[in-house]
Amino acid sequence: MKNIKLHIIVLLIVCISEFIGVKSFKVGPGSIVFLPMLFAMVIAIFLTPKFLNIVKEKEMDDAGSLISITLMLLMAKYGTNIGPTLPKILAASPALILQEIGNLGPPILAIPLGVFIGLKREVIGGGHSISREPNVALVAEKYGLDSEEGRGVLGVYVVGTVLGAIFIGLLSSFLAAYTPLHPYALAMSTGVGSASMMTAGIGSLIAMFPDMADMITAFGAASNVFTGLDGLYMSIWIALPMSEWLYKKCYRMKYGEYPPNPKKTEEK
Amino acid sequence: MKIKDSIIILFITAAVSIIGNFVGYKVNILEALPGMLILVLLATIGIVLAKVIPVKIPQVAYIVTIASILTIPGVPGAETITQYTSKVNFLALATPILAYAGIYTGKNIEDLKKTGWRIVVLGLFVMTGTYVSSAIVAHLVLKFMGQI
Repeated sequence: MKNIKLHIIVLLIVCISEFIGVKSFKVGPGSIVFLPMLFAMVIAIFLTPKFLNIVKEKEMDDAGSLISITLMLLMAKYGTNIGPTLPKILAASPALILQEIGNLGPPILAIPLGVFIGLKREVIGGGHSISREPNVALVAEKYGLDSEEGRGVLGVYVVGTVLGAIFIGLLSSFLAAYTPLHPYALAMSTGVGSASMMTAGIGSLIAMFPDMADMITAFGAASNVFTGLDGLYMSIWIALPMSEWLYKKCYRMKYGEYPPNPKKTEEK
Repeated sequence: MKIKDSIIILFITAAVSIIGNFVGYKVNILEALPGMLILVLLATIGIVLAKVIPVKIPQVAYIVTIASILTIPGVPGAETITQYTSKVNFLALATPILAYAGIYTGKNIEDLKKTGWRIVVLGLFVMTGTYVSSAIVAHLVLKFMGQI
């Protein structure tokens, strides 16, 4: 917290990123939006020891301990977006609730793919959900984090942490430009993962549809809150059991036999 | 983390954000100040409530809920809060977060290398799958209800 160097570096990164501003690039019939927050993240990554080595271990540790607090102002801002639009949010609540079914899309798609590219029980942990904190905690409790399932969920968690915001930001902008999906529907889906994924997704959408900014923000934030509420139960009761079942089926299809008992598959 | 420390970090983030808000969105710092202070206050209330109330509800949930309730049209002061906080651009608040997150990410890059390409493919696939499938459901429901 008292790490002045860290805050000064962040301030400089923010100034540079905001100075660059929102950049959109025409690609085919639509455009892809790059936001200051994405520049900020990329610049910040390049300052770490793996690259330019300007920020050191200490700054990385301190930054890690601060992130949850720095999110709070944004959350307050999200709240102030939800309030004024609350009647419309309530009217759209069936869509907000039902889109949570989308959480079951990944097991159906990701498990066959994961088995196909040669993953074993990692796919159950990593493919059962978008693998944010609650899902990691759940897999940790059920299988242990040093199990294959645990390695899977942690791996996908790390992928989401490192690439999630950038990926969801670009994906939102891509889907808004090239598919008939409505910006409100996309806004709700930005909430399926972490708050920074949502923020990047919403940011891209707002840059493309500035006159819908209020509703887009409110839907994204509301969906993120819903996900926080039901995501865990969705995983416990539906996604995990379904993943186990699909894994067995897919494994048999690929290898011609049922997977060995999980206890004996420690060769990896 | 102690409440006092959290509040100091809130103020640091607010300071960085308000400068970003000026650089990126040309909003005068003095003009954005009341709105920013309101956000700091809302966040502080949430943090304190989460500490004081024994039920295990995350701070974020308190903050979003309180901020939502206080800005529902008709609630006393809602107009004022909305008016002031609208001076603080949402993107300006997000940029510092991702700067901190990016610095922290440096720690995870090695892990990412270790997990191997298969997990990276799986991760991207899971994100795309979750996003697209919930967008399709949301789109169909909104369409069905005649809201889009």
